[in-house]
Amino acid sequence: MAGTALAPAKVRVKTSEKRGHRSRIALVNAVPVTVFLLVLFVYPIIGVLSLSLEGDSGGFTLHWYADALSGVNLSVLLSTLRISAETALLSLLVGFVLAHAIARMRPVFAALAMLIVVVPHFISALVRTYGWIIMLGEHGILNTLATSLHAPGAPYSLLYNETGVVIGTTSVMLPYTVLVLQGVMRGVDGRLLAAAAGFGASRFTIFRRIYLPLVAPGIGTAGLLSFILCLGYYITPALMGGGKQTVVAALIDQQVMQQDQWNGAAAFGVILLLLTFAGLGVLGLAKLRRKKTAARRSSS
Amino acid sequence: MMELPPTRAGRIGRALSATAILLFLAMPIVIILVTSFGADGIGTFPPKEYSTRWYEQMAAPDGNWATSIALSSLIAALTTVFSLILGVTAATALARGRLPLHAAVYGLVLAPMLIPQVVVALGLFLFFEPVGMLGSPLAIALGHTVLAAPIAILIMISTLKGIDERLEDAAASMGASRMTIARRITFPLATPGLIAAAVFSFITSFDEFFIAQFMSTPDTRTLPVLVFNALQFDVDPTVTAVSAVLIALAILALALVALVRKLGGHRNQQGGVLPVERLT
Amino acid sequence: MPERTQSLTAGKLSADDLAAALAPRSSSPTGKSLSVTGLRKSYGGTTVVDGVDMEIAAGEFVTFLGSSGSGKTTTLMMLAGFTEPDSGSIAVDGHDITRLNPGKRDFGFVFQQYLLFPHMTVAENVAFPLQLRGVDKAEIRRRVGETLEAAGLSKFAGRKPRELSGGQQQRVALCRVLVYRPPIVLMDEPLGALDKKLRDQMQTEIKSIQRELGLTVVYVTHDQEEALVLSDRIAIMKDGSIEQFDTPRGLFERPRTPFVADFLGAANFLTGKVEDGRGDDCTRVRLDTGGVLTARAHACVPGQSVRAAVRPGKLRLVSAEEGCCTGTVETAVYVGSLTRITVRLDGAAPGTPPLRIETALAPPRPGERVCVTADQDDVSVFDATDGG
Repeated sequence: MAGTALAPAKVRVKTSEKRGHRSRIALVNAVPVTVFLLVLFVYPIIGVLSLSLEGDSGGFTLHWYADALSGVNLSVLLSTLRISAETALLSLLVGFVLAHAIARMRPVFAALAMLIVVVPHFISALVRTYGWIIMLGEHGILNTLATSLHAPGAPYSLLYNETGVVIGTTSVMLPYTVLVLQGVMRGVDGRLLAAAAGFGASRFTIFRRIYLPLVAPGIGTAGLLSFILCLGYYITPALMGGGKQTVVAALIDQQVMQQDQWNGAAAFGVILLLLTFAGLGVLGLAKLRRKKTAARRSSS
Repeated sequence: MMELPPTRAGRIGRALSATAILLFLAMPIVIILVTSFGADGIGTFPPKEYSTRWYEQMAAPDGNWATSIALSSLIAALTTVFSLILGVTAATALARGRLPLHAAVYGLVLAPMLIPQVVVALGLFLFFEPVGMLGSPLAIALGHTVLAAPIAILIMISTLKGIDERLEDAAASMGASRMTIARRITFPLATPGLIAAAVFSFITSFDEFFIAQFMSTPDTRTLPVLVFNALQFDVDPTVTAVSAVLIALAILALALVALVRKLGGHRNQQGGVLPVERLT
Repeated sequence: MPERTQSLTAGKLSADDLAAALAPRSSSPTGKSLSVTGLRKSYGGTTVVDGVDMEIAAGEFVTFLGSSGSGKTTTLMMLAGFTEPDSGSIAVDGHDITRLNPGKRDFGFVFQQYLLFPHMTVAENVAFPLQLRGVDKAEIRRRVGETLEAAGLSKFAGRKPRELSGGQQQRVALCRVLVYRPPIVLMDEPLGALDKKLRDQMQTEIKSIQRELGLTVVYVTHDQEEALVLSDRIAIMKDGSIEQFDTPRGLFERPRTPFVADFLGAANFLTGKVEDGRGDDCTRVRLDTGGVLTARAHACVPGQSVRAAVRPGKLRLVSAEEGCCTGTVETAVYVGSLTRITVRLDGAAPGTPPLRIETALAPPRPGERVCVTADQDDVSVFDATDGG
């Protein structure tokens, strides 16, 4: 009797011992990455923050921000936001069409298509941008094709302007949007669409009232994600935008590399950071809301 | 069984649009691979004459290209070592243990993938400049590790989560020590993940531009910095050959990862590499 | 658990109210007739439905009953229009609808998985078919309100489907269909995901709504009891075709194939030969084990090998009677109002199962010698080459 009464207690001691031991191991293992990122990621960013608030001769000032938010600088900031928004929209549109098609392909073709979408993600953005430059140039393959087909208005100027930048950045963001959208599209129950058809809904109504609302969270996530990632993007705008199309990241580069203007660059950096945080905040809130409804439903 | 039957028009429309988009995506890469063998060096497509002269120029022993390829390789190798160390330890903490402040550490790990790289680069410059480490391969590698480690960590987390913990418990029940378990059970099972983490860390560093640009000196310019300058300022046709090599490298690396994962019996091909799954 | 009781009480007052709320107002929503001819469907060489013919009267409750793979769901999907038949035709009140889109048929569908739209509230789900039919907003609000009220779901109107229990979700799915008063309602195992108690209660609800509204219902299930409770007629499906289409009583008492005899309830099969030498009288079967059973009249040839089927409750134990089959009691188990007995007949081939008998009389003990017989009306005879 005594033995059976003792046994459960013994087991419990053992598991809680195991648990304590495990969290100790976890703590020890979490140290390197935490220290590393605090020293080489968080601390440097704080350095950027303090630099952006430091006057030429020391002391606190906000005039770098005033600088950044006025005149030419402001227009660069606005054009960055515009390019990011355009990229987000275009990559959503293209990504949606592609993901929707892939979702309905036979597995072999779907895998092949995903390969073409994902492999470029692992190829240097510089190289891909270079490819776009060759392709979109005045004598590039696209314009040669358009001219030989006597397309109206050809050759088009697709390079060294905003069109070029947006095409380039969209191709960079596409793997993200396609993957996110594919995730939600795979989660849509095809029988719901059929059920709606059974009630007499047209294809268009089914798309608008059933399909779109069901994939809406993915559309939001994909759009915001490409917007955020586009904000601080540099390589493609710098190479495909020509001299005039500057984005914030290019401005920072220019201020540091050519003008030795660190404080202003830091202020711009902080602004980018805040915009990114705002975007991530929206993403986080949306996720939280979904979690909350999920919790409410499971508790009811 | 109960699905909306696809309409003919829809099927054709989807096939056409998908093909067009995919062609558009693949085209720039194909173009580079082809023009790198073009003789004229101004990117005519398709080339009128073929030659390997740009490859020869790239490989010239004391040219800029060979030097920077060597430098980039060194930095990428260092980065790989650093981020594997961080990857294994951090993944052990995040995937296996009951870590206090789990969400905070996880958020910290994800952050470098989402924060604008220019901000990170600026911060790293401010960090290394006062100590006179600009241009130091070690400093650049440490900077690259900030970007590469999160990727390695995510891959290792999904690897460790894919290993049945009960196997380790079983080994423990037979009297294996913690070291023995790690060496004989966990490590062999995690090898495909380790290789994937190493490959992606290496590529991340090898392709990284912004941090290298900020921390470079005229003597130490990594390959991407050189490529960027070649594209922006002087038109050196050698850059097509370099680009083609970078493409081949990326494809080889992905093929290696795919092969190792297949041998290791893993199913999720791209799992954990892009941070998207964490966000949806 | 409180959830369960709540939904149960909510259901009790609902069935009649729901029917009343939906009952004939201006246009009386009575059912239409449905006729199916030669319906066939195969997938990549495998024939799933192989020639289904049936006439369903307006206001009739018809059930397809069969095990999985019998083709019952595919047949329903063809009626619904979600699956296109390879050949055959479907007509509603004489109008051919074989090639019509599901939405154009004006049927109602209730699915096993409910298929409520997860992003819409309960009220929005119920309003959806009305919106598609261009009903004006005030009318939609009124009808949705009435229907939910009658189903006892008013307080859930603003909730999302996933916040409801399974029974409540199925009731919403029912409301979503009934609200637009389709003349024909198709149901694919709508109660399959519910527990027994809830299922019984929903069966009553569905039956009373169907009867009051005069709806034509085509129902699919693999649950015999459910089919017997609900249906006016049942079509027993096997290997893609209908074995027998009849009233529950007809199926039970006059099975036309051994499969039906065995599928609905249990049956004892006894092999034998039709006795010859008496002209056209085919009713006497001489069993291989010895003894004679007198069967219902059936088409046969004297001397033909046959199988006779008798339900366990219809076999009688007699002391001695002309032609009765002798055997030994193997087991006798008292199961409440009656006793289940197994009897091994003398001369039964090794490996054949013993006879199963149910009796309410004083049961014999194991090892006791008995003699078994059955009334003429309780014996069905099939050709020995019939499967089953």
